[in-house]
Amino acid sequence: MAGLLKKTTGLVGLAVSHSPHEHLSILYSKILASLEGMPRDAAYRKYTEQLISERFDHVKAEADVEKLEKKLNGGQIEEVILQAECELTLSRKMAEWKPWEPLIEEPPPNQWKWPI
Amino acid sequence: MAASLARLVRGGLGRGYNLARSSSLQQQQSRQQSSTETRPTIRPSDAVTHSQLSAFGEYVAEMMPKYIQQVEVTCYNELEVMIHPDGVIPVLTFLKDHTNTQFRIMTDLTAVDVPSRQNRFEIVYHLLSMRYNSRIRIKTYTDELSPVDSAVPVFIAANWYEREVWDMFGVFFANHPDLRRILTDYGFEGHPLRKDFPLSGYVEVRYDDELKRVVAEPVELSQEFRKFDLNSPWEVFPAHREPKEAAAKLEAGDAPSEKK
Repeated sequence: MAGLLKKTTGLVGLAVSHSPHEHLSILYSKILASLEGMPRDAAYRKYTEQLISERFDHVKAEADVEKLEKKLNGGQIEEVILQAECELTLSRKMAEWKPWEPLIEEPPPNQWKWPI
Repeated sequence: MAASLARLVRGGLGRGYNLARSSSLQQQQSRQQSSTETRPTIRPSDAVTHSQLSAFGEYVAEMMPKYIQQVEVTCYNELEVMIHPDGVIPVLTFLKDHTNTQFRIMTDLTAVDVPSRQNRFEIVYHLLSMRYNSRIRIKTYTDELSPVDSAVPVFIAANWYEREVWDMFGVFFANHPDLRRILTDYGFEGHPLRKDFPLSGYVEVRYDDELKRVVAEPVELSQEFRKFDLNSPWEVFPAHREPKEAAAKLEAGDAPSEKK
């Protein structure tokens, strides 16, 4: 354990994490693995890979939790972990939905016209 | 003792209220005297926010081209994303879970009835992101009979809002845990917020003394319905003029048509 652990996150239902670096590394590598299954030119894959690799590099470089929180700029480290879990479930669902395909159906004429 | 206390409280409150009223009046007068502003109060257009929002809208549209039909930023700097009804759950899940969007809160779910369109109902979702302090509006369309996927698996807040849309408009939400009426009376027939539903409805209720219960009877208006012609002589939306007639397209070799 590096340094003093904070007593509480201050958020209901979010416990203080004892090994945030390990947790984040596992999650980020899982996300990157899940993104591998998508076509290389899919915008979701491009931008998410960029974002996640950047965050992963910060996690690998910075050992101090507080400085890492500042660098990641995403709130407390527990919130960052929660967000990474969300991103993981999202990438798995995106692999099913395949949103990079072209538009399924054009809207009927004048559907979005305003004023009528 | 209680009466005297009450008198004291009332007197004290009354005195306080009068003081507040007079002081605010004085403040108003001084403000009017000091300011010599004559410009009308129009919100100044914020180009920076507008460009940021359009860039973000392009980002979202690039991520999900399968479902997103149109993206707009209104003049009041509100981002609107128009999607195909099949894409309700994918788009909402993306906006909730993705790191760059994180719209974790659904603030509103309503419908708009535009009877002249083929898909008359426009379902509108409002989302809020606390992390990035921004809001977004997602719009879908449906007609009277096609169901829309329920947003409840993504946002639990959508539960009662979807019940309300079902009750008021008649839009069916598939996979909703408990879709039943929420605002109308128990045996009520009809969907009140549709544009073809009259203001006073079709039935009125009264207590019948002989039957000893409440009965529903056709509504009786004491005054005949009056239709007002509210057209103004001035154009209502000068910024949205339609071109009068498109010039007839000529194929190569045709003689130009005669002008009437």
